[in-house]
Amino acid sequence: MQRPDWAPDDIDVERPSVARMYDYYLGGSHNFAADRVAARAMVEAVPDAPLMAQANRAFLRRVVQHLIDAGIRQFLDIGSGIPTVGNVHEIAQRAAPEARVVYVDVDPVAVAHSQEILAGNRNATVVREDLRRPEAILTHPEVTRLIDFSQPVAVMVVAVLHFIPHSDHPEQTLRTLRAALAPGSYLVLSQASDDTRGGAERVEAERVYRRTDNPLCIRSRAELTEFFDGFTLVDPGVVWVPQWRPETPESAEDAEQAVFLGGVGRLDG
Amino acid sequence: MGEPAASGASCPGTFARAWAKAVSGTSYLPMTQAQLEELLQRLTHRLAAALRAEPFDPRVGHQVGAELVAAHIASAEGLGRTVEVIQLRLLRDLGLVGDDISDRLARLLATITTGYARALRDRTLDEQESIRRAAMVARAQAERALRDSESRFRHQATHDPLTDLPNRTLFTERLAAAINAPGRGADRVGVCFLDLDRFKVVNDSLGHQLGDALLVQMAQRLRRALGEHLVARLGGDEFVILVERTGGTDDVVKAAEAALAAVSEPALVDGHELSVTASVGIVERPVAGTTPGELMRAADSTLHWAKAAGGARWALFDPARHRTELARYALSAAIPAALDRGEFFLDYQPLTSLRDGTLLGVEALVRWRHPELGVLRPDSFIGLAEETGLIVRLGGWVLAEACREAESWGADGGPAPFVSVNLAVRQVNRPDLVQEVRGLLAQTGLPPQRLQLEITESTMMSAGAEDPVRALRALNDLGVRIAIDDFGTGYSNLAYLRDLPVTELKMAGEFVTGLRAPQVDPASRTDERILASLVSLAHALDLTVTAEGVETADQADLLRAIGCDAGQGWHFGRPAPAARILEQIR
Repeated sequence: MQRPDWAPDDIDVERPSVARMYDYYLGGSHNFAADRVAARAMVEAVPDAPLMAQANRAFLRRVVQHLIDAGIRQFLDIGSGIPTVGNVHEIAQRAAPEARVVYVDVDPVAVAHSQEILAGNRNATVVREDLRRPEAILTHPEVTRLIDFSQPVAVMVVAVLHFIPHSDHPEQTLRTLRAALAPGSYLVLSQASDDTRGGAERVEAERVYRRTDNPLCIRSRAELTEFFDGFTLVDPGVVWVPQWRPETPESAEDAEQAVFLGGVGRLDG
Repeated sequence: MGEPAASGASCPGTFARAWAKAVSGTSYLPMTQAQLEELLQRLTHRLAAALRAEPFDPRVGHQVGAELVAAHIASAEGLGRTVEVIQLRLLRDLGLVGDDISDRLARLLATITTGYARALRDRTLDEQESIRRAAMVARAQAERALRDSESRFRHQATHDPLTDLPNRTLFTERLAAAINAPGRGADRVGVCFLDLDRFKVVNDSLGHQLGDALLVQMAQRLRRALGEHLVARLGGDEFVILVERTGGTDDVVKAAEAALAAVSEPALVDGHELSVTASVGIVERPVAGTTPGELMRAADSTLHWAKAAGGARWALFDPARHRTELARYALSAAIPAALDRGEFFLDYQPLTSLRDGTLLGVEALVRWRHPELGVLRPDSFIGLAEETGLIVRLGGWVLAEACREAESWGADGGPAPFVSVNLAVRQVNRPDLVQEVRGLLAQTGLPPQRLQLEITESTMMSAGAEDPVRALRALNDLGVRIAIDDFGTGYSNLAYLRDLPVTELKMAGEFVTGLRAPQVDPASRTDERILASLVSLAHALDLTVTAEGVETADQADLLRAIGCDAGQGWHFGRPAPAARILEQIR
């Protein structure tokens, strides 16, 4: 008999949550004082942090639109966080009302908040699970209720991998997820990288995130590209997120300032 | 992009594009640049209309401010840049002119910022409320999950996984509560221990799966039949029922009978119709002065009484019987230490020739000089020792001690009778018996002819007694005498007497007891005839015969007349230390 893997103590609004800090960067008010203190410290250390979050969010929007256009109707968004503006289901279901979306997050407050947002939406749901337990995600009854793994699925792990250290073997997690997917499925990844930024900002950012439950793990472009093992990268490959199919040429300028690298891979049949 | 081409004085497209550029990046905007420009274009039209309208309507500015926030252009920077771009470019880009146009623009900006600030405040408060609600919901969910898992955990810890009945832990808790904190009118309590009869046979012959299915069915029946009483499974086929607030024994007997009735209805398990019975041990007593452990032990031993009486019944606890059993148990537990402390000693009883009255041999009889109970005779502890297996050690000591003492007899020229020692089944079955006896003889120097081993008929008859027979033959070959003890009380199978290495038969005392009044009692005549036939049969097989339990001179005379070789009993001498017996002979 296993004890539950979380307890009421886990829900500590005095402790900054990466999901709610992200909401703060995006201009939301779904956050508590502790989140704002940490997020402000981050902005002080890395003044562009809000822009990075926005760029990543915009990447997510363009990717979902692209996948909808490619015919994808099932989305599994792991590490979805606080469902603030521009959620996957908003983008996807606006374009295709029958699109099914399952959000997965480990943060119980983010999950409870998502439940409230999704109440009454028959084609979208949220489950509390950990990216590091892909089998549990794939077999979760709420996941299997909405997602038919015999059909193509877009698995999205956006702005999450930098919270998964090497010791948790994210490559194995992604392999497990890949094994469950039908040909024609997609993998969407983005994560903070240090290919261009100075060391001082990185050190500061790492210091800020050590106060959360999710310390930072910065990776290089090569490392992120390796995570697409088994997938064929969609053009333009792994790039700074503003460079991924920008709407206007100007919006891709100074793209490396966005710090986030992102890419989309397709599982060929 | 789809906006109308800029034309001369009025160019809303240009303005909207400038506005879009000003606000982008101030917060995350969940739309494409084109969608943003489209939205701002629409708002620009409304602003332009408001600037021209007569009278001036402040609501338009409020609405535009609110729409900006609703479209997620909702940050301090977004507002600042919006004010800036309107102030700097709106009139010019739209080619608006008029006497009071700058007044109107100021008023419009005031209403936009007012509407914007109101909407942003509302939105902030709403979001704060919703995240706080989410935290509360999350905490409630986590607490419920913890409670659920705790109660599941508790259930699993206190219930038997097979039958889902309460287990020993829960039962003990409830019993302890009933005893230690009795409620009003609950000053007596009862316990029934129930065990299915011959359940092992079901398991062994039909398999464990079927056995388990039977247990599940029995558990369901017991639960149904016993209603409010707690039924628990202790393990295996053992169940226990707690009867609280009893008024007396009858209440518990009623529960036991209900349980027995429930069990005994034919059970259909996997196509087999099984007829099951059970035994129940019942204890019922005041809660004051008892403990859960005591009560459970008492119920357990009472269950064994029901079993020993044949099963399919209940038995009621009897304190006197329980005390006796406890004493017996304590006695058997004390044997090893008593051996170590040398509390055992031997007495001997003469085996006397009926022909000439000489002392042929003596039978060694073990005594226990118990520090509290005084000298104990073998019938109070040998049975226990046989049950527990301690007989091997005790019997070994008796054999060694008898050999040691007997060796010295006759050394001073007096009589040197053989010594006869009883061997228990377990001793005879030991593979190293021959080696042990040979070792003792060598060690003590006792000639083998002066050792007699007494075994019972049943020992010889025990199934598969091939090895013991070989051992006895080997001993007999050494010269050791082998006697059959208590002959005539068992099967009295004569066939084996011919083939086995036996030297002597000892006739059971029952036959001799019957020889009291030969002239009047026809039964006595029968015993006499049986004895006479056995003696002549034994002689035909070349065996000597000793009669046990000879108490009178008349009996001795009769036995002598029949041709019996030797006698043992009070008539010839009571058991006594060797020295005294040898003394009397002189």
